[in-house]
Amino acid sequence: MTQRSDADWVLLVDGPSDPAHAIVAQEIGKRILEVVPKEVGPTGTFGNIVPSHELVHYIAGTQDSNENLTRRILLLSESRALTNPLVRERIIRNILARYVMYDRSVPSQTGARGTIPHFLLNDIVRYWRTIASDYASKMWERRGKGWGIRNVKLRFSRKLLFLWGLIAAFSGELFATPELHQVKNDEEYFLRLAELIRTQTDVSPLDLVARVVLECEHAAAIGDQIFTSYDKFLGVVADTGSRKNLESVRVEDALNDETYDELREVSHTFREGVTKLFFDDHPKLPMLIRKFGVF
Amino acid sequence: MNPIGFSTGALAKGDFELGVDVQRAVSRIDAIELSALRDHELTALIEAIPRLDLDNFEYVSFHAPSRLQRLGETAAFEMLRLLPETWPIIAHPDLLQTPALWRQLGSRLCLENMDHRKTTGRTVAELKVLFDTFPEATFCLDIGHARQIDPTMTCAILMLQELGNRLRQLHVSEVGPRGEHLPLGATTRVAFAQITHLIAGDCPLIIESIIPPDAIDDELDAVIALFDAGASRRAIA
Repeated sequence: MTQRSDADWVLLVDGPSDPAHAIVAQEIGKRILEVVPKEVGPTGTFGNIVPSHELVHYIAGTQDSNENLTRRILLLSESRALTNPLVRERIIRNILARYVMYDRSVPSQTGARGTIPHFLLNDIVRYWRTIASDYASKMWERRGKGWGIRNVKLRFSRKLLFLWGLIAAFSGELFATPELHQVKNDEEYFLRLAELIRTQTDVSPLDLVARVVLECEHAAAIGDQIFTSYDKFLGVVADTGSRKNLESVRVEDALNDETYDELREVSHTFREGVTKLFFDDHPKLPMLIRKFGVF
Repeated sequence: MNPIGFSTGALAKGDFELGVDVQRAVSRIDAIELSALRDHELTALIEAIPRLDLDNFEYVSFHAPSRLQRLGETAAFEMLRLLPETWPIIAHPDLLQTPALWRQLGSRLCLENMDHRKTTGRTVAELKVLFDTFPEATFCLDIGHARQIDPTMTCAILMLQELGNRLRQLHVSEVGPRGEHLPLGATTRVAFAQITHLIAGDCPLIIESIIPPDAIDDELDAVIALFDAGASRRAIA
């Protein structure tokens, strides 16, 4: 988050409806504006009351929506509770139960239990492809307005969310302790696998990426490509002048715009580091991404 | 088979004698929790103990007041310490304002996990802090509270994993969004079924579902069916 960021807040309700929730939500909005002066985005995805029901029950299928998908994945990947953390935790556990407990693979002939929650992995991939597609849709709907900032976010911060999701979905392979595989019954095994993934929801995307980078053979070089690039991105979007420039630059002027063009170059280094991490250097990720990432 | 019975407060709020009598009439009940959840009930209940017929119950526990309004902490402690030594004293953590006092109860002190209205004792992390303060205390797992905190029951499993060696009894009921103890509903049964196999066959089950006495048999049937299924799973494993 930079000083120019907005705050994507929601009032999570996990229980009976209460008219007072609306009053509390208005008050939260006012208080957050005192701390984060930028208004929350215009889509209504955030800055609202969000009941848990849709987050838990409308995962994929006909009743899911872009709004619900965005809230759900951001709740998992980068949310923090301002108060009553147990509510956030409980909703996250329920969402992960849907992904992990209630969508199990057919057991293998050897009796080995699955470690990859395909439903979660597919939803993470779907989210990434959705925001990438929505970028084009917003270009069309808004006639290119705000194009530059959305473009660089897609190259960095949105991509980082995708990285978090992939790593979290691979938790059973990357972070499992021997105790997980000693569990006797399937229900408990999948609950524990879901809990292992839940613990990643308390780790910020940058920290989670750093954790797997440190396991690479060329950790210093890959870490430099990823984190130095990301730091440059944050530096640019935190700078008032540069950010305004990115918010107003037109597509046809992009290649002549120093701020945008520099970030585009840096984003290539970032992508290169990420590619090495996932496809070449990490002891497990290349196998996982090859086996589960696409086909 | 687990000893099983009700909290007197669940069957007859404020009338512990009735809460005992209706249970004595049911042959399947061999455990009981004497409940003085409100502190004004404590004196009368403790004074009545010598004349209560508790012979039917192989397991008896005593629920301390959930908060003190009329009695001071020391006065409440002095009354509770005189209870029979074999009776666990079930206590909500926020009652224990002076730890040195309550530590004197040793393993008789049985801490219960809390629902989401409280600010401590709700998760395994919060409970571990409490057990650091009361190292000899035993544990009453309220599976309704645990489900309210986490419907997937992962929290309950973690509690059993981390604190299972302290487990003294279970509280069993559905817990509503405002902390109310209700008969077991369908979704609660599904959730509880995920952990019943992890409960030892001799762990007493104290039902806290608030029901009229004529619903005792139905609630017993529901709880026994759940834990019998758990025992079968345990045997197969």
